[in-house]
Amino acid sequence: MTAWLAANLVSILNGLAIGFLLFILAVGLSLVFGMMDVLNLAHGALFLVGAYIAAALAADGPSWGAFLGALALAAVIGLLGGGLLSAMTEPLRRRSHLDQALLTLGVALVVAELLQIVFGDDPLGVPAPPGLDGSATVLGATYPTYRLVLIGVGAVLAVAVYLVVDRTRVGALVRATVADRDMVAVLGVDNRRVKVAVFAIGSLLAAVAGVLGGPVYGASVGLDSTVLILALVVVVIGGLGSVRGALVGALLIGQIESLGRALLPDLASFILFGALALVLVLRPRGLFGSRTGAAQ
Amino acid sequence: MVDRTLSRRKLLQLLGAAGAVPILSAPVLSACGSSVGGGGGGTAPGGGGAVKVGLVIPQSGVYAALGTDMQRGWDLWLRQHDTKFGNFTVTTVIADEGENPQSGVPAVQRVLQADQVDVVVGIVNSATALGAAPLMAEAKKTLLVANAGAADITGKARTPYVWRTSFQNAQVAAAAGPYLAQRNIPGGIFLIAPDYAAGTEVRAGFKKAYEGAGGRIAGEAAPPFGTTQDYQPFLSQIRQSGAGAVFCFFAGAEAVRFVQQYAQFGLKNTTPLYGSGFLTEGGVLNAQGDAALGVQTSLFYSDRLDNPANRAFVDAYRAAYQAPPTCYAVATWDAAEVLGRALGSATALDGDSVSAALGRLGAVDNSPRGSWTFDGQSPRQTFYLRTVDRVNGQLGNAITTSLGELGQV
Repeated sequence: MTAWLAANLVSILNGLAIGFLLFILAVGLSLVFGMMDVLNLAHGALFLVGAYIAAALAADGPSWGAFLGALALAAVIGLLGGGLLSAMTEPLRRRSHLDQALLTLGVALVVAELLQIVFGDDPLGVPAPPGLDGSATVLGATYPTYRLVLIGVGAVLAVAVYLVVDRTRVGALVRATVADRDMVAVLGVDNRRVKVAVFAIGSLLAAVAGVLGGPVYGASVGLDSTVLILALVVVVIGGLGSVRGALVGALLIGQIESLGRALLPDLASFILFGALALVLVLRPRGLFGSRTGAAQ
Repeated sequence: MVDRTLSRRKLLQLLGAAGAVPILSAPVLSACGSSVGGGGGGTAPGGGGAVKVGLVIPQSGVYAALGTDMQRGWDLWLRQHDTKFGNFTVTTVIADEGENPQSGVPAVQRVLQADQVDVVVGIVNSATALGAAPLMAEAKKTLLVANAGAADITGKARTPYVWRTSFQNAQVAAAAGPYLAQRNIPGGIFLIAPDYAAGTEVRAGFKKAYEGAGGRIAGEAAPPFGTTQDYQPFLSQIRQSGAGAVFCFFAGAEAVRFVQQYAQFGLKNTTPLYGSGFLTEGGVLNAQGDAALGVQTSLFYSDRLDNPANRAFVDAYRAAYQAPPTCYAVATWDAAEVLGRALGSATALDGDSVSAALGRLGAVDNSPRGSWTFDGQSPRQTFYLRTVDRVNGQLGNAITTSLGELGQV
């Protein structure tokens, strides 16, 4: 057992790093979908915006100023972008998922094209901030320092989001809106404002995830759609509108993507969607999704 | 009165019809117009006719950077030669290939049918090249592939109308095989390339050449193409295999991530990284940064190649575009060069005449990559082992040694 652990420690650590990053990305997507039935396919584009901001600010060499500046700028742009997307999808709220999907897909394509025009066709690297750009030795295995820090930052953010949604009045309102938004409206709460707020915060987290993920994934054309697919898989596995589901789903996908691929390299391209299919067969509403889609 | 009303109505109808005709027939007329300028234009060599070329390159999507380099190579050659192939004045029509055959094949069809071009040049995606081959055969016009590397294009799916001035995927990898086998690397080599057609050709080509020369493969991996963001599981596999070196094939954003993660997970210091040259060619190299230093790759070109033709080419290219040329620019420059030579002796612009002239070419001795010839319809050329270094703050591919000449594999 200890020998197995030593051999696979790097994969397990890496699964945690990717899992927490995926959680930050996917939690907004999950809440907006669970709460307002808006399928936001522009979520991946917000991630890519964050990644390109990180790359652009670090173009003159890595520095903490550039990295923290990128985080702040991405947060502001994410907030504004989320508010804008919320306003754009508002007229479609009584229409089908397909209409919203078409609209947000169109937004995603336009944003991706604009990014390509502004930042060029070449893939860009994002250096980790100074001091975190090296590698650490963990029980004899080499592991990038930045990813170790990412695990810590991701865990703190995950706990913070969980506590806000689970333990505060605002969180209770969000959960209530996910469970039954008509009942919340009857109680005198304008649930459109709840939607705007959740949309904006969720988009902020997606853009911030783009900056945090920059040193791992870089910034390149097409990255938006690959992370969007991962986020959708997390949401489907975890269950719509559930923060706990998004967290468990993200950590699970993280382990599948790293430990799973390391143990079963021949099935690398299959195990992600294999796990998705398994969950859909056994728990069609996801691990933490309930019949009404109530938040937990 | 009645007559007048009728006649007025008739007049209006006539006017309407007259107005509609130009609108309806506009595409037809303009297509005819362009074929006057191109297609039927010059048939007699030496008579000073015109030739219309469709340059089909990616202007959008993940390969757009390659498209830019290819167009630069093309434009540069034309500027250096008065926009003339022999006595034919060249008109270029550019079409966006996009990322895949769903956009690339219709682009080829468009330049053939709407623009009535005589020759098509370009094509990055191998599936697009294979999909365009029947269109070229049907139109009896020549396609010069300036990038796409699938063996089948000039191999199993060969038609007389499709020629290539770039490389074969397996050829680039096979060139490094005998050299690495002679190095007697302890523990053998780990082979990694994505699980799509080009990656499979690279693995097969390298394995055959390397094992044929007495090398030992320590392990193989095929990460999912296009969806692998993180190579850690495969890097762990490499470490556990005990391999003494790695040979890989990645391009674009995947090349950036693989090279960076290879360094981050500490393999760079213990296990030398080799690969097909696209790993460190062009824009990806700057994105990789210091992680790329010391990476060794095989390719038919480097802008540091020391021959008179290349020195002149690099100077002209840098002056025009303020950037070093890449193998993508060279392959397209060479496509223009062989067309220039072929149309000097071709009797007509149809595919049979152009292909026959291409077959008679002999050595292309003024290419920046060094002299090369057609072996079948794809280049026989010299490959080089290149090592990434930093000179005056700029990353580049220094020539380490020649890997010898290689034809189609």
